[in-house]
Amino acid sequence: MTTTVPRRLPRRARQLLAASALLILCAAPFGTRADATEAAAGLRTVDQDVQALKKELVDLNRDLFRLEEELLYPASTQVAVFLSVNVGTFFALDSVQLELDGKEVTNYLYTEREVAALHRGGVQKLYLGNLKAGEHELVAVFTGKGPHDRDYRRGTTVKFDKTIGAKYVELRITDRDSALQPEFDVRQWE
Amino acid sequence: MTLTFPRRSASWLVAVSLACAEPTAAASRAGATEADLPPPSSIRNLDYGDVLFHFFQDDYFGALVRLEVAQELRRLPDHPDEAALLAGGLYLSLGMHLEATRRFEQLLAGPVPRSVADRALFYLARIQYQREYLEQAERSLARIQGPLPGDLEAERRLLASNVLMARGRYGAAAAALEGWSDASGWADYARFNLGVALVRSGESPRGRELLEAVGTAQAGDEERLALRDRANLALGFALLQERQPEAAAVALNRVRLDGPFTNRALLGLGWAESEASRPERALVPWLELRQRPVVDAAVQESLLAVPFAYARLASNGQAAEQYRHAVSAYAAEARRLDESITAIRAGGFLDAVLEAAPAGRDGPGSVSWLWQLQRAPDAPHTRYLYQLLASHGFQEGLKNYRDLRIMQDDLARWSSSLEAFDEMVAARERLAGGRDARKSEFLSATDLEALQRRRDAIDARLDRIVTERDVTGLATPVEAAQWQALGALATRIDALPPGAQRDALAERARLLQGTLQWQLDATYKLRLSRQHAGMRILDEALVEARQRVGQIEQASQLVPRNNHEFARRVDELAERMARLQPRVDAAAAAQERLLAGIAVRELEAQKARLASYATQAQFALAALYDGAASGGAR
Repeated sequence: MTTTVPRRLPRRARQLLAASALLILCAAPFGTRADATEAAAGLRTVDQDVQALKKELVDLNRDLFRLEEELLYPASTQVAVFLSVNVGTFFALDSVQLELDGKEVTNYLYTEREVAALHRGGVQKLYLGNLKAGEHELVAVFTGKGPHDRDYRRGTTVKFDKTIGAKYVELRITDRDSALQPEFDVRQWE
Repeated sequence: MTLTFPRRSASWLVAVSLACAEPTAAASRAGATEADLPPPSSIRNLDYGDVLFHFFQDDYFGALVRLEVAQELRRLPDHPDEAALLAGGLYLSLGMHLEATRRFEQLLAGPVPRSVADRALFYLARIQYQREYLEQAERSLARIQGPLPGDLEAERRLLASNVLMARGRYGAAAAALEGWSDASGWADYARFNLGVALVRSGESPRGRELLEAVGTAQAGDEERLALRDRANLALGFALLQERQPEAAAVALNRVRLDGPFTNRALLGLGWAESEASRPERALVPWLELRQRPVVDAAVQESLLAVPFAYARLASNGQAAEQYRHAVSAYAAEARRLDESITAIRAGGFLDAVLEAAPAGRDGPGSVSWLWQLQRAPDAPHTRYLYQLLASHGFQEGLKNYRDLRIMQDDLARWSSSLEAFDEMVAARERLAGGRDARKSEFLSATDLEALQRRRDAIDARLDRIVTERDVTGLATPVEAAQWQALGALATRIDALPPGAQRDALAERARLLQGTLQWQLDATYKLRLSRQHAGMRILDEALVEARQRVGQIEQASQLVPRNNHEFARRVDELAERMARLQPRVDAAAAAQERLLAGIAVRELEAQKARLASYATQAQFALAALYDGAASGGAR
């Protein structure tokens, strides 16, 4: 059977398809040039307003954050315990428990995202509280998995003297010399 | 019959394809990067580490607030420049270009290490590029002196070439990128951009070479795979433009079947086969495409392309059937567009977008967002998001809306905290009242001055003992009593009548006195040293007592003042919150109205396009019927 394609159809169809291909490949977000200009101007104006508003919100949050700390944890009684990690990525931290003067104050379970942040150099403010001046005892225990899925549980006890100023204690999980065993290294900051 | 691919349409295709392949990647990583930061071991202020802990979790807002607090309280004495740089980067990440620019310029105005200045200039250039201040961007980039750390150097090169391309200087962009290779992946983006730039500037063979290199590069993650697809798509259409359908088909066949660029690749592949006079093979991708959701523009076009191919194969019956199918599919899609327009006008549109979005650092417009949204639920609100997010302006607006939502939640949390603070201040005031009474009682019973006077008297006595070497002055109470008794005894003996008995008694008393004196004299130094040690302890105790009493007095003065100060701050912050809350709500609503307006206009444009497609299908159908009526149909 002889096939006959209407001569008019392909040419028109090709033109139509070509025109529609243009639409497909660059589906413009706005209907017309005037619309686009108007919309872009609208976005810019709102964007500038929103930027100014965001800045005010950042400032407000800063002041609220500061008020909260100064009101709840004044420097004269403030004790902060920080946690940092300086081990190879082979060690996956699961949890850290803190006891202050025999009382559990934190039992923190870590998400993958938090562990990654610690490995990248972030330092977590693990505990913020109040203590009277004098001698205190901090007991910290961490658990996690090391190479070959081996479970680790390590602890440390620190006695520290709380004076009039804020007290910072840094618990650093670090590699034991050459043995690749994670353990606590404690530093005190005034 | 040989069908020639219309040259004009091919050039349009490639131009458009390349327009869609705008310089890419760098813009999606708008804010600070890890390269700005000191290595972990060098963190010297714990509060800076705390900021980084939040930053590394992509909690930019939390990181920025902590950074601002730490800077204000001067807790980052060892990281002043990095902290200032990070603050600028965080403002940038949160879409606050104006504040970010101010921070970077402020940093550059001061004496900062060259490496910090270079990074600040890089970020400034990036903002200027994004805001289309291209000359300024070029100037900022030119001021960078040394290589930037880590991936930033690669990003700088990419940005430099993007700026040149945006200014239409494709040759210079090509020259800037020539010979650059790195393992970080940025070079692939650069090669892609250069390939596009060269094709655009008429140096197609060299451009195609680069696109080929990117299109066949190893890719380990979604971002690189998507870039590879994009390169193959651009290459395929460039080859189609140059009427090389076979080579175009090879490139387009490399595009993944389940990626964000698949539909366009299938459409192009059909055109390549059609151009190669293989309409039967053109049907393969087009029929595959035709089965996909009609929401996609490429699929919509395939509904016309399939009957077009059938017509070329002289299968006019099938062609007519497919045109009829296209007409009804376009009508159904137009109804769905109407549903979406109604749903968007009804509100809640942007929340639906955010719900459909993936969690994590990637913002709207990133590959993961687009990819997820392409698979978003087929609901009226979200059905056309993928197309909408192709617009940079829409993405920016959406990011603003997302940030405002986060800040609204944040304000709500603080609002309940502030109420608690208010109660706490009141409780402290009450407690302070009770303590004041006890303090007054204690302070009135404590006479430090009397203690000091007693201490001074003892000190004076010791001085006299030393001056006179009065060994008896250091005698114990027993010894002193003995000394006194011996003195009294001597007086009584002196009163006795002279004689041998008195002499004997006097001699004995003198002996006893001498013995006691000798003992006191022998131990004088030791006793004196003990007394001095005792004085030192006494002095320390007195100093401590004075300190404690001072602290108590100070505390009793401070607490009420602190409480009043806290109460004032709580009130002031509550007022600011009350002022800001309605403004945030209004801004979020305005943002939503604006974006909904854009979305509705876009969907109406899509409707217009569908109407045009439907007209074309009906016209083609009529032509087929014409042909059949004139006896050509089989």
